[in-house]
Amino acid sequence: MPVVVKHYQPGQAIVRDGDRPAECCLIAKGFCVRSKTTSNGRRQILSIHIPGEIPDLQSLHLNVLDHDLITLTECTLGFISHVFLREITRRRPNVAEIFWRDTLIDAAMFRDWIVNVGQRPAPSRLAHIVVELRERLKVIGQVQGARFEMPLTQEQIGEAMGITPVHANRIVKQLRDDNVLEFHRGSVRVIDEQKLLELADFDGLYLHQRPSL
Amino acid sequence: MPRFHFHIVEDGRVITDEEGQELTERDAVRREAVETAASARDAFMRGSASQVIVDVRKGDELFLKVSISLTVEG
Repeated sequence: MPVVVKHYQPGQAIVRDGDRPAECCLIAKGFCVRSKTTSNGRRQILSIHIPGEIPDLQSLHLNVLDHDLITLTECTLGFISHVFLREITRRRPNVAEIFWRDTLIDAAMFRDWIVNVGQRPAPSRLAHIVVELRERLKVIGQVQGARFEMPLTQEQIGEAMGITPVHANRIVKQLRDDNVLEFHRGSVRVIDEQKLLELADFDGLYLHQRPSL
Repeated sequence: MPRFHFHIVEDGRVITDEEGQELTERDAVRREAVETAASARDAFMRGSASQVIVDVRKGDELFLKVSISLTVEG
């Protein structure tokens, strides 16, 4: 498979709203987010992406990108041309099925994100995002014990939850004071697993991690 | 650019904003304060407070204050 490897700095746009990309990017190392910004400049983070994912797979069939894809940390990205992807999906139906399934799960995760941001109080919202990220990081072996990477600043946590940075700061402090979670320099530590799960109201079905179900 | 700190006061309990934010216009500060006061929803739902104040400081001096309180009748 022809892959062009590139290195990105934190906070760099990989592709932007309105772009017409000719390639998709596979995250080899690092974290990215997809986001959209309103006309008055408020940014909503829509999803967090981890190694092994192709966050802009939709650009293979939808020519114009309708949101931004931005690096959170230093990233190593592998770019695969649309020409190659189109050819392989035509030649190998099983690959096409995997990609289709990937974008369906993507949509399932967005549905869950809407419910989370729209219906849960802020502390539960953050707990839910943390548990989801942990379940996905487990699959790629990036959770050791109670601590794992979550490289979002307080401002970015606010943008993911749809609240101001100050409100996000308040929620982060509350979760620490209530002995649920502790955020420290881009990582998070679970203090009380039981409390976290109760607060997160998490049912991982929408991640469809077991294809046999 | 001046830096503003948005401290949240829930029924007298102060949650300080050490980081602060750089903002230029009075309107932007007001908007941020009012939106932050939306955190009152969490406190009201949890029942942990019935009044939330966002106390905005420019340096040490008070710049503006937003107050939201909950009244349930009946």
